[in-house]
Amino acid sequence: MTLNAMQLLKFTWLLIVFMSLSSWAKDVIPIPQQVSLSENLKTQQVSISWVGGEATTFDLLILRTELNDTVFYETVTVAAEASGQSKFLWTSAEPLECTSLSFRVRSRSGQLTSDWSSTQILQGNDSPTDERMQAYPQDKTVPAGSNITFCCIIGEGKSFDSFHFISESINVTRLSRRTYAATVYNLKPSRSYGHNAYCKGKTEAELYGAVIFVGYPPLFTDFICETHDLTSAVCHWTEPRKTQLLGRRQTRYSINGRNCSVVHLEQNRKQCSFPRWEENWKLLGWNPLGEYSLTDIADVRSRVVPLPPEELSTVANARNATVTWQWKLNHYVSLPLVCQVELMSSDDKTKRTFSGVGLRSATLLDLYPYEEYSVKVRCGAQQNFWRWGNWSKTISFQTDSEIPSAPDVWMWMNGDTTGQILWKPYEPRKSHGPIVSYEVTLWSPDDITRHTQIVSPETFAMPVNLSGISINNTKVIASVVAKNPAGLSPPESLGLPLHVNDLDSEAITKVDFREGAFPLSWQSDANSSCGYIVEWYEASCQRDCPVEWIKVGEEITNVSIKSDAFEPGVRYYFSLYSCSSEAPELLKRWEGYTRELAPSSSVQLSTEQQDSDILISWSEIPSTHRRGFLLGYNVYLNNGSQLTKLASLSTQENSYTVKGFPLGSYKFTVKAFTSAGEDTGGTASITLESSADWLIFEILATLGVTALALIIVTFVCYKKRKWVKSAFYPAIPEPKVPSDWSTPHGTLDVKPSPHSMVHIVEKPEWDSSKEVLVVIPEEDEDDEGQGIRDEPVDTDEPTSLRYYNQVVDERPIRPRYPDSSASSASSMDSGRTDVTYTGIQTSGSSLVFQSDSQSSSDQPLVVPESCGGADGGYRPQMQLPPENDNASLAQSHSLPESQACRSGGYRPQNNWQLDSPDEADERRSLAPSLGSPTSIASTQFLLPDQSSDELAEEKHQSSAATWLTNLLSTTKP
Amino acid sequence: MSEDPPEQEEQRGSGAGLPGSGTGQAGRAVALARLLHRECSHLLQLFVRRVSLYVNYTPDGGRIVSLSAASEEPSTEEQVLVMHSALRQCLGLIHCVILKEEEEWGELEGDYESMRKNVHQRLEYLLHTTKALMETEETILEVTPDHQCTEEVDGSAGVFALKMWTYRVLLELVHWADHAANTLYKLQSEREEKDQN
Repeated sequence: MTLNAMQLLKFTWLLIVFMSLSSWAKDVIPIPQQVSLSENLKTQQVSISWVGGEATTFDLLILRTELNDTVFYETVTVAAEASGQSKFLWTSAEPLECTSLSFRVRSRSGQLTSDWSSTQILQGNDSPTDERMQAYPQDKTVPAGSNITFCCIIGEGKSFDSFHFISESINVTRLSRRTYAATVYNLKPSRSYGHNAYCKGKTEAELYGAVIFVGYPPLFTDFICETHDLTSAVCHWTEPRKTQLLGRRQTRYSINGRNCSVVHLEQNRKQCSFPRWEENWKLLGWNPLGEYSLTDIADVRSRVVPLPPEELSTVANARNATVTWQWKLNHYVSLPLVCQVELMSSDDKTKRTFSGVGLRSATLLDLYPYEEYSVKVRCGAQQNFWRWGNWSKTISFQTDSEIPSAPDVWMWMNGDTTGQILWKPYEPRKSHGPIVSYEVTLWSPDDITRHTQIVSPETFAMPVNLSGISINNTKVIASVVAKNPAGLSPPESLGLPLHVNDLDSEAITKVDFREGAFPLSWQSDANSSCGYIVEWYEASCQRDCPVEWIKVGEEITNVSIKSDAFEPGVRYYFSLYSCSSEAPELLKRWEGYTRELAPSSSVQLSTEQQDSDILISWSEIPSTHRRGFLLGYNVYLNNGSQLTKLASLSTQENSYTVKGFPLGSYKFTVKAFTSAGEDTGGTASITLESSADWLIFEILATLGVTALALIIVTFVCYKKRKWVKSAFYPAIPEPKVPSDWSTPHGTLDVKPSPHSMVHIVEKPEWDSSKEVLVVIPEEDEDDEGQGIRDEPVDTDEPTSLRYYNQVVDERPIRPRYPDSSASSASSMDSGRTDVTYTGIQTSGSSLVFQSDSQSSSDQPLVVPESCGGADGGYRPQMQLPPENDNASLAQSHSLPESQACRSGGYRPQNNWQLDSPDEADERRSLAPSLGSPTSIASTQFLLPDQSSDELAEEKHQSSAATWLTNLLSTTKP
Repeated sequence: MSEDPPEQEEQRGSGAGLPGSGTGQAGRAVALARLLHRECSHLLQLFVRRVSLYVNYTPDGGRIVSLSAASEEPSTEEQVLVMHSALRQCLGLIHCVILKEEEEWGELEGDYESMRKNVHQRLEYLLHTTKALMETEETILEVTPDHQCTEEVDGSAGVFALKMWTYRVLLELVHWADHAANTLYKLQSEREEKDQN
């Protein structure tokens, strides 16, 4: 209990001590008194003053009254003034009208502070008593680049919607119940009518705002004061930058404290005048954003700028003119002046300076006759020259005319006695007046007669013909004079050559075009007494050429020829003539191009075969197409897509021989070339063939080789004849002939049956296994053949026959006559005739197909194998009489085979004699059948009835010449 | 933009009647009023473009120029007299606009200033035409501006207020020029009807 009481006592004591100290501090640090406010709405500044005693450090607190937001709270150190008041100037970011502000101050000493002073309120315009809608700041002018805060006070009871600067919506900060603020940064210069900043309420009618003007303070340069009359002053200056401010915010000026009425000149220059000159001048300019001043100090005599001369007039002669003028002010009569006269002609402008006391005239010399001039004058003070005054008005005048100068005359002589007298049109200022006419006179010192011709001023050439000149005349002279209103010019004479002496082409020198001209130089000629004439013209020109020329003095030995008429690729001749009392003499000639080009045309190319070589030749390119000095020709082998150079030849060569090319077709291209390159090239083709001699040699060699081969074969065959005979032609026994066949017993009259059918007849004396074929007519076949009567008769086809063997030979079929087989194949298609051998065992040696005599040559026949088929055809078959089988058989046997084989083709053995017209008709009825295709197939050989020995004997009797033919025949399939 | 003097354009605009006659004068007045209406509309466009005004703004507070007719159902002649009186106030307003703008911006030479001058002269001429049309021995019409350009615009200072007030004045001019064209046309129609009868 005692302990607690002690602790409580101790705490109470400490509390008393602390409170005592605090009370002491408050008593020691005085509270600021007499706090007062003084605002400047335009600068948005508030001056706060108070009486703070000895304290120098204070805490300053500024709050927005309504919302109690702290605007400013800082410790400031201010010294008390003599009156004991302390002052602090505070600048508000927002206009002071925006809302009410509360100000409080307290003194500070280290960490100890006094109590706050009483609150002073700076009343804003958002108090409930003022219900208007307002915006601030109004019509403020600020420099470009600055920042500004706007505020809007909405009407009492209204609602805020948005804030806009120009056309942009800006975020706002609420300052009080009715006040909203927005800040815009880095302002751009406004147009003359200012930037609009405005607030919108909820309705379209609730709109209120302010205008802000953004610009620059005044700035100017070149402030100068001058005098025109040594009494008054005119000061002017330049404004390099517009202030962007107009009307009541525009820059105003004063000079030496006096307002001046500014005259705006061109290029931002301004001017102000005063009636009296002063030694010192001070220009002051100001606007809401600031002021600027410049000074100028000068003696009046050093700033004299005379006014422009007036009433200019001229008196002109041919080569001079006098200009006179008047002064507006009499001050200049005794003033030393320097004047500048600017003289302008059509292509020239010169300034000539004159001086004198009170100068009023100037004489202009060295003018051109008959020339238009313009003139104007300006003057300055001769002593202490400051600057030229302004130019006077310009006046024009024309000088008088004068006789022309002598014309520039030259000539062109053709190869004969004809030519032209040429003269140049007058250059400007050389005619001294308008040319009226030219007079050309031809005369000779040896003759008193003169031939004068007057031509129009537009004529600059006159043809001459010296053929009519008397042979006694040693020289002819042409004189030309020009006439203008002032009179005749001095004559210009030229001796004409009676004989034209030209130079050899080899004496012509090439000249290069360098630096835009042809440089020509020559050795001085002793005979040249009056200089030289250099003429030039296109080398392609032959007669009455449009020649140009220049004349140079006798001391000149080189000249550069320039002309706008020069064209690239054109060759020009330059001729140097000496000038003397006699006719001009040609001294030298050059030729040259301004720029060489590739030839414009190609050579005409031709090719020719010479033995195994090819001769290429071409013609020259016409000189006008060369367009440069030809350096040579390039010969190419042209394979269509690629050129292979074969040779490069000089210009002296116009042919080239190509050697060593194999036979074939070739194309050659020849291109001429200059220093600028090749032309497109001429092309020619040729086919290289073997020569006739070589062809003959080859034929002879072939024939020789063939003959040699035949000889060798013959020789070998001869040496080996036995072997050949045994191998290819074995001995065949001769047939035994029962009677003499050589003597005919009469005409073999065998009448073939129009309708044949092969009947197999049993022959008692023959082997029963063998049968004979008997031809039996088949009516059915005939009928069938009638159906194709209109078809073309094919005589190669046999009569429709069918052979029916009763005994079939089982041996395999080997086709022997492919041609017949082919024929039978086609016969199968037609279905007209079908001859089938199914097996024949009877003797077939004499068995042949009967054929109509008229078509026998084409009738395909089957012949015995012993004939070899080499004859290439069929032979007609003997018709055996049916009543005498034996006889027919015998007859068929008696037919010599060798004879049949030698026939070599179709050869009728008998003439068929038709017994009656019926038979003939019957024969004709067979024609369609005969013309039908025939199909032949054989399963057996048609073997002769004789024994092989007899056949061998018969072949043995054959001619030796046929052995090779038979040999070849047997080799056929 | 038409920059012709009023005298030249007047010939273009007069479409009915003969000069000197009642209907001819009315026709000329109608054409003049229509031309004035077009020029006032154009002047308003130039103004809005020049001062970058918020174009959706609809001024509150009713007409600057407001007149009441003598009777509830005034005759056409009475309407023309009321219109004439309104045009005099409009002339005073445009005169005041010119003064205040030149005071604020200086004397400038642009499209807006040129058209503003045109409207001023055209309005004066329309007043003279209306006077000639309506004046009788009993009725004496004035053509001088009926506006004292002394008070602050809309009771508040500032360039923004001047812009807004000028905008209102130009709207007023457009309105009364249109009204004048319609009223004068009505008068012309009635007089033509009378002449035909």
